[in-house]
Amino acid sequence: MEEQELPKQQYTDAERQHIFNDEFMPHINAMYNFAYRLTLDADDAKDLLQDTYLKAYRFIDSFQQGTNAKAWLFRILKNSFINDYRKKSKEPSKVDYQEVESYYNSEEVDRQITPDLRVEALKDMIGDEISNALNALDVDFRTVIILCDLEGFKYEEMAKILDIPIGTVRSRLHRARNLLKEKLSEYAKEMGYKTV
Amino acid sequence: MDSDKSYMKQDCPEKNECLKMLQAILDGEATPEQRTEFLEHHLEECLPCYKNYHLEVAIRQLLKAKCCQEAPQDLIESIKSKCTEKLSR
Repeated sequence: MEEQELPKQQYTDAERQHIFNDEFMPHINAMYNFAYRLTLDADDAKDLLQDTYLKAYRFIDSFQQGTNAKAWLFRILKNSFINDYRKKSKEPSKVDYQEVESYYNSEEVDRQITPDLRVEALKDMIGDEISNALNALDVDFRTVIILCDLEGFKYEEMAKILDIPIGTVRSRLHRARNLLKEKLSEYAKEMGYKTV
Repeated sequence: MDSDKSYMKQDCPEKNECLKMLQAILDGEATPEQRTEFLEHHLEECLPCYKNYHLEVAIRQLLKAKCCQEAPQDLIESIKSKCTEKLSR
């Protein structure tokens, strides 16, 4: 596991206890939400969260105090998800992203990606619309929205959590938001908001 | 609402580039100069970007309000006790 490559600490039991309780546990709700949004299943989310915290405990000597515990935990959770829950659908994305990225650098984009969605329509989405729209996105797109918009990670932190270049973070995020807006405009249309 | 904004540009030739910039601003990834230029100058005069800005803000608010599920309390307790058990071994 990559976490082991980092310089190891030799914490005392008291230090471990302190790190675990004061640096790891405060992120448990955010971590659960991430697990739930990745697996889209409450039981899988429980297992994934538990596995992640047990791993975090086991590799606690690889965690350096003073560094970002939340990013460290999120990275473990993401890797566990890929290794344990996503084995069957191996890396379906590499080619797709190249396509996506070159598409995004093309001129067509300006004309096509302008979903007509209004703030007033969003204000009426008081149910599960946004949650459903988010869950309907491909997991890689869902992930960047969670990390950025829900958890407030910086692009650089996201690049480390996801093991991708920062430019990819930026373009994936931009694409993800457009896809989310497309979904939301569909809901808005169903709710009776007219689109041009 | 649009009527009193008739002095604004109704179309933006850089709409997609502007969208990227305003996302960078909202993500806290833009420089102070970029922020000022965009928020205090461009948004004042460009209707499509003004609307996009408010839409982006509203989506973020909605996401935060509706998409954060808390961990079940029994799960938190179980994780805590499993790990503390090992910690105090």
